[in-house]
Amino acid sequence: MATAVDGTTAVDELEQATERIRQVGFGAGATLVGVAKASAFNEYVPLGHRPEDFLPGAQSVVVAASLGPTNAAWQSPNRRLMEITGYDFRENVASIVMAEHIERDHGYLAMQAPALPTSGQMPPLSMMLSAVLAGLGTRSIAANIILNPTYGLMFYAAALTTMPLTPDHQIQDNVCPTRSCVKMYEMEGKTPCMAVCPADEGGCIDATIEDGEITSSFFNRERCSTRAMNFGIRGHIKQVEILTGIDNADERRELIYSDDFRRNMSSIGRYKESVSQCFECMRVCPVGRYRRKLK
Amino acid sequence: MTEYDWASVKSDLLERVRKKGAEVARVCDAAVLEDAEPGQRPSDLLPQGKSLIVLGGAAPRAGEWQSPRVEVMETVGTADRMTTIGSSLACHIEETYGHYALNVPTSTDQNDKAFLDFGAAAVAAGAGSPSLAGPVLHPDHSFLYLTVILTSLPLPADGPLGQPACPAPSCVEMFDERGVTPCTDVCNIDDGGCLGGEVKEGLVIGRRYNKQRCRDRVYHYWIPGYQAALERALDEPDARKRKMILYGSYFTRTMWSITYSSVTQGQCFECVRVCPVGAEHRALR
Repeated sequence: MATAVDGTTAVDELEQATERIRQVGFGAGATLVGVAKASAFNEYVPLGHRPEDFLPGAQSVVVAASLGPTNAAWQSPNRRLMEITGYDFRENVASIVMAEHIERDHGYLAMQAPALPTSGQMPPLSMMLSAVLAGLGTRSIAANIILNPTYGLMFYAAALTTMPLTPDHQIQDNVCPTRSCVKMYEMEGKTPCMAVCPADEGGCIDATIEDGEITSSFFNRERCSTRAMNFGIRGHIKQVEILTGIDNADERRELIYSDDFRRNMSSIGRYKESVSQCFECMRVCPVGRYRRKLK
Repeated sequence: MTEYDWASVKSDLLERVRKKGAEVARVCDAAVLEDAEPGQRPSDLLPQGKSLIVLGGAAPRAGEWQSPRVEVMETVGTADRMTTIGSSLACHIEETYGHYALNVPTSTDQNDKAFLDFGAAAVAAGAGSPSLAGPVLHPDHSFLYLTVILTSLPLPADGPLGQPACPAPSCVEMFDERGVTPCTDVCNIDDGGCLGGEVKEGLVIGRRYNKQRCRDRVYHYWIPGYQAALERALDEPDARKRKMILYGSYFTRTMWSITYSSVTQGQCFECVRVCPVGAEHRALR
């Protein structure tokens, strides 16, 4: 980066470089790209979960967002299709491509941010917080999912870099609750997501809204996790535990060759096709819904 | 409202996927597959679906076919590439044309049934024709990995191929002389293999195919292999032998096959290895 005498040139160059990186992200498949200052995380997360903990000297976090399943997948009457039509991880690809671009073309260190949980359910770096700080969305009542005002549910990945970039502003007005949800809450005491998965009726979501703002929210993450991810690694671990407790060889064989066992293995093998098996709170969410109506 | 010239739209879409790596890109009317069993019809997946775009490509490289190490072909499949191209095309259709599009999952539904018969879609679109060997064969490229995009775009359909790829003229000659084709010779159903059938007047008659046996051989690593090895380990009363099974190379390979599933789903390519269709693409310097 050139040093500017008056400071203006440096700002312009910074903005241009940020815009170039954004375009590289779009070219690699991101629907949206946002930028957060690395230091912005310090206010929200403890040591060990900040960009600086993974990349000493980190200045910026570049966040890529993609849409996930196509609108047609949302429309399918076969619910199993949504269960296994995940997405193609294009936001991950975009974040890697942007990191490569930064190292190659700008000479700064850059890496993909670690997002998969390595201990319990806590990710090393929160992609949800990254998305909020990069101005891509705000936290919602529905499973705390970060909703983008235009697209609703999105999938996020990030790149960390020592390159100083122009950060985006955080979204000022909460995306959730929408006006229609507030109206429904005032009339029925619940929003669409609370109605479809109420915590007090065996579901996962609860909240209170006053003057159009969320005043409290409750999300049963453990319950949601067992429903949204009932195939895959956890399902397989559970079946192995059951298998080790069965003494009868025929019963073991029945379980090993069952459809459920095969689907768990298939989910592990084709992970990107089977990340989640419940989308109901998002299915009824009005944010971005008009974009899901096509011809 | 934008009025599209559907022939131009189709041309643009197919050109786009060819640039991304699809060797074959054809279209058929979704209604053609509506006589499939319930649960496997296009309308079961997307009631608004009008067209099926069939993409074929990502075949093994000529060098891989030539390798004397069987492990090469066992572990370098590239089917995932077609899935990625299909997903990308589905997104492009929705974002650009405002019509629904989904990349039909390549994995299976309940009871291991396919969501859609990709082979039937490929044949209907002319992306290939049925073969004695089993896979749908394209006359130029032979065996290709397929992906299918179901969309509400009303694209003009391509018809099935006028001339089927199988049997090739040399296979007809061989059958006339010896009563077998290269594929039924290498994996003969009456001799412990999977394939059988006759060729009369240049057409395949009475094809026989032992699907279960073929599956057992093609997928001896991956999920079926893992199930068998796990069952064996759990049945083994001796703790040391159990440990040997679990830490053995077979069990380890089944795990690799699962986690790298897109690259190691098939461990037998012998019927296609001897197939003359597209052989010129597999013979380089």
